[in-house]
Amino acid sequence: MSAMDTVTPAVRPAKGGPPAPPAPAPVKRRRRADQRRSSVAAWAAVGVIGLFGLLPVYWMLVTALSPDDRAFRFPPDLFPRAVTLEHFRAFAENEALFRYMLNSVVVASITAVLSVVVSAYMGYSFSKFRYRGRTSLMNFVLASQMFPQALLLITLYAVFSEFGLLNTYAALILSFTTFTMPLCVWMLKGIFDTVPDALLEAAAIDGASRWRTLHTIVAPLAAPGMVAAGLFAFVRGWNDFIFALTLADRDTQTLPPGLVNTYIGEFQTSWPALMAASLIVSLPVVIAFTFLQRYLVGGLTAGAVKS
Amino acid sequence: MTPLIGAARPRRGERLSNTAFALLLTLPGMALFAAIVCYPLIASLVTGFFEQSLVLPGRSFVGLSNYREALQGDFWPVLRQTAVFTLGATAIPFVLGFALALALNSGIRGSGFLRGLFLFPWVIPGVVVSFLWMWIFNANYGVLNGVLTRLGLIEESVGWLGEPGTAMLAVIVTKSWASFPWIMVMMLAALQTVPRELHEAAAVDGSGAIRRFFTVTWPGVRGVAAIAILLEFIWNFQHFDTIYVLTGGGPAGSTETFAVAVYREAFHGFDLGRATALGGLWMVLLLGLVGLYLRMFERETDR
Repeated sequence: MSAMDTVTPAVRPAKGGPPAPPAPAPVKRRRRADQRRSSVAAWAAVGVIGLFGLLPVYWMLVTALSPDDRAFRFPPDLFPRAVTLEHFRAFAENEALFRYMLNSVVVASITAVLSVVVSAYMGYSFSKFRYRGRTSLMNFVLASQMFPQALLLITLYAVFSEFGLLNTYAALILSFTTFTMPLCVWMLKGIFDTVPDALLEAAAIDGASRWRTLHTIVAPLAAPGMVAAGLFAFVRGWNDFIFALTLADRDTQTLPPGLVNTYIGEFQTSWPALMAASLIVSLPVVIAFTFLQRYLVGGLTAGAVKS
Repeated sequence: MTPLIGAARPRRGERLSNTAFALLLTLPGMALFAAIVCYPLIASLVTGFFEQSLVLPGRSFVGLSNYREALQGDFWPVLRQTAVFTLGATAIPFVLGFALALALNSGIRGSGFLRGLFLFPWVIPGVVVSFLWMWIFNANYGVLNGVLTRLGLIEESVGWLGEPGTAMLAVIVTKSWASFPWIMVMMLAALQTVPRELHEAAAVDGSGAIRRFFTVTWPGVRGVAAIAILLEFIWNFQHFDTIYVLTGGGPAGSTETFAVAVYREAFHGFDLGRATALGGLWMVLLLGLVGLYLRMFERETDR
């Protein structure tokens, strides 16, 4: 997948820009020179920023494929001399890591479903009804993702502990769902906005109740958007660190804190093993985003996707 | 947009008014917000007036003394460090992401593929970003020291994350790496709304590339740029993951931002009063930024 593609960017030599519209001859010549210059500048920018963006990824891959004795030498070999898959195999055979992975899959999946259901009702309300307080509610939803999580975790920890939910999946699912909702609500509201009001009126004239209209007419139309919102929620749950670190223990923790527990703070971290684990953990997210690319911008302006 | 559409009007026999129905739809979500965001936040702010431990039962009212202590101690260095981190980790990704967006928008080949490729640093989990850069910055075997040594730029390996002089820079670079793709996506989308004819007309009139940037491009993307910068600023202002994993706030507290300081006071120091008082001050600053964002968002989008 593209996690692997990232290592060798297909950099092609620059070709001329798009054909210029007719212009007086001297201007034309100047424009062509201008275009060539801006094309060179564009490739220079892509090259320099590309190195910053992609060399670390290359290094992650090279390290993950190196045997331990190759990775721990200085200065390091910039190109792999020996390649091994032992670190990927070790990840697959590690029972503790398997447990974290299982926890991640369960928690992120349930979060995705729950978040889409709850957000769909809310997004529909914001999209198709006008009532007092609606704008305030929308603003609140938008703002809620910006409240300081470290601060509210202090009480959340006590609340979950009070209800016996500390170190359970439920604590993680409830927290993840809540912090995924702003994005999902906003995405789904945008999709409901595109459902024509006339369709809802027709349904009402045919005698469908409001519930029925929502469930049997609107929901199927919004299904692709709901899948996308669900994927975003999944990624959010998969990537979260601070809640899983605080509200879960070794039996219920997800991969991000799990990897920290496993590898960081040891006397000698096995960097190749950690890089291999990092690639494995990143893979589902990379796959999800290849599907989500075209939904990116709409959701982003709402300020939502982010940990 | 039509106010109150016909289809949503209650039919005869439906007991709920439209407003009641609409509010009912928001109820499950609002219940979650109340339980997971509102109550904990308010209760945390109240805790700031008490002396309370994470591990011992009971608490006693101490008035403003936690706040006084915070303002006389941690608050100012933490504010300074948060400001440095936030400014750096907002400015660098903005410059990189915007430059990349301009380049990809200039009609070079394969820009769609490149856009997808560059998303990688942003989509992967924050802890993975931290692991990768911890390894790159590693004092003994890190590739950064390796390359700089080979180029003859340094004579001895630098402990990038272990020295107060370089740790903040390392943290900022790491967070910038994870953020620039998002700015790229936002700015690319904004640039695509600027009509190409405007550029061509300006070019025919004899404007050079730099002049065209300021007269055509920038006015067209300014609004989105402002939102992107403000959002990135807000996120960085409360960013936790990268810093906590990379340095844990150290060495000697030199990378401790509000998020890390509040977390450490509460979950490592067990002193909830101190943690929440510092958090309360943090929250006030954050609310100002969020209010600004909401106003800007309302102006930019139609709802």
